[in-house]
Amino acid sequence: MLAKYMARRFLASIVVVLGVTAITLALMKTTSGSYVPGIDLNPSLRPEDIARLRADLGLDRPGWQWYITWIWGVLHGDFGHSMIDGSTVTSHILDRLPNTIELTLTAIVIGVIIAIPVGVIGALRHGSKTDHTMTVVSVAGFAVPQFWMGLILILIFSVTLEQHGLPWLPSSGAYSAVNGGDFFDRVEHLILPATVLSFFYISTWSRFIRSSMLEVLSQDYIRTARAKGMSERRVVYLHGLRNALIPLITLIGLELPGLVSGGLVVEVVFGWPGIGKLAFERALQYDYTTVMGVTFFATLLVIAGNLLADVLYGVLDPRIRYG
Amino acid sequence: MIGPSRVAELDMPGAAIETTTSRPAQSYWNESWERLRHNPIGMAAGVLILIFGVVAILAPLFSAVLTHFQPQSVDLLATFKPPGGAHMLGTDELGRDTLTRLIWGGRVTLGVAFLTVGIALSAGTAVGMAAGYYGGWADDALMRFVDMVLAIPAIFLFILMSILIHPTPVTLALIIASVGWGNVARLVRGEVLSVKQRDFIMATRSIGARDVRVMIRHLLPNVLPVLIVAASLGVGQIILIEAALDFLGLGIQPPTASWGNMLTNAESYFYHSAWLVYFPGVMIFVTVLCSNIFGNAVRDAFDPRLKS
Repeated sequence: MLAKYMARRFLASIVVVLGVTAITLALMKTTSGSYVPGIDLNPSLRPEDIARLRADLGLDRPGWQWYITWIWGVLHGDFGHSMIDGSTVTSHILDRLPNTIELTLTAIVIGVIIAIPVGVIGALRHGSKTDHTMTVVSVAGFAVPQFWMGLILILIFSVTLEQHGLPWLPSSGAYSAVNGGDFFDRVEHLILPATVLSFFYISTWSRFIRSSMLEVLSQDYIRTARAKGMSERRVVYLHGLRNALIPLITLIGLELPGLVSGGLVVEVVFGWPGIGKLAFERALQYDYTTVMGVTFFATLLVIAGNLLADVLYGVLDPRIRYG
Repeated sequence: MIGPSRVAELDMPGAAIETTTSRPAQSYWNESWERLRHNPIGMAAGVLILIFGVVAILAPLFSAVLTHFQPQSVDLLATFKPPGGAHMLGTDELGRDTLTRLIWGGRVTLGVAFLTVGIALSAGTAVGMAAGYYGGWADDALMRFVDMVLAIPAIFLFILMSILIHPTPVTLALIIASVGWGNVARLVRGEVLSVKQRDFIMATRSIGARDVRVMIRHLLPNVLPVLIVAASLGVGQIILIEAALDFLGLGIQPPTASWGNMLTNAESYFYHSAWLVYFPGVMIFVTVLCSNIFGNAVRDAFDPRLKS
């Protein structure tokens, strides 16, 4: 049953990956016209050099031929070279990936650590002042633009503190260029962007935990657990929370693609050298191969995230069957 | 389900008693409106959005009567004026009046948001309804396409498309809607799948109604509540996306003001002109907050079972 389900999902995934990369290429092809990536960087290029460059990059061929060559390369694990700087796309992604994972993982961990107690307290004391306050904060969390929150944090913790001669937090990058890069330096750089990202996670997830906790606590098996004299602590945490966390797993799984696209705006605001920023900059420069590589990678993450969420869901809740 | 109850008109024993003892017949729409009306926070949020909308529509009037500035009028002798005096909310790096630009920016931002919702709803409804109604291979093909659209990391699509089109407000709405319709299609398909099983649809078809008529006259009214809820919850999200695109320089292009692109340059003037960062952000925040609250109120009104 599960094997058949997985096989069908796998086949569907291939179609999705092909479709997404094809659309991306088609969009780039139509948008770039006769532009050759990187020619702006060197004004002394002669027309014949540009023509040679075009041929070298394969841009003189129709899109579908370029696409087949690209797919052929990908099947052999070769994502090609960046059209801007010539280094391999794989090395670019591997370069940026640790930074992005560092940022997103920190935000997710902070999000989970704060969202679970907030959600549980909201459910246990629902209707109370605490609950209302937390609801207001999380409703606000949905509405605040991430880039603006980033700007405000920079304004407060970098600009204003510095103006008053107080210790301030760095506003951009993942580490200091000069004698930086040690643990504390990285943490210092991480604080502001991770706060912005996790604030969004906290407001989303705490709401979900609250409502799913409320639902779980009204179930018969909770009443049974209470009836047999189990302590309230054990009822809430062993029987209640464990079941209430199932939706959260799905949500976290769905955040996987956020590794690339979700953090993009935050990465740009804070100059964080991650995958999202790479994709953003390279798309503006029409670096076909890099953009295709990142798109491929991002799409895989979307698929993997969905799949992971579904499978974990089944593991955690045996009532769910795959058809 | 839709339309006033006909119970009283039937000559049935007990009908008279029923009408006298029960409250007046209420349609689903009336009941929903009553529930919405009695939600003070939801209504307040809705009214605030309405006010923003009216101010945006009347932007030329406001800049003529209230602020006495035009959004694009540059005054290099009055750059970075702090709030107060002739410039109520200060001026930016070109001496343009912030309040005027906020009002005109709201016109663009809200216009794009509502246009996007309109486009996404129309396209999503058409696709979702066709998929749900016809079923079979049409359903499979359309929904796989929807899956694919939703699997695209949206921000790439936005970046690439905005480079292609050099967005105006209308094309920007098209770009954002090109991803947003997928979710609507899923919602509508789900509703249609359940509604089309009901007897009244079979009755309609048995008297020879064409597919298009069944879809527009009989399925659409039943899907409408879902659409209204999706629309009111969607506006806030779309404003956030649009503001982020504008901020990244991919949306509405300067000198046309939008709340997002007013923040693009603000970062450079942190040290002396923090108000340039505050006001546009607060406007985005308040508008999105109100749309979310109003959207939730609408959802609760239409489907009280969902109320948490």
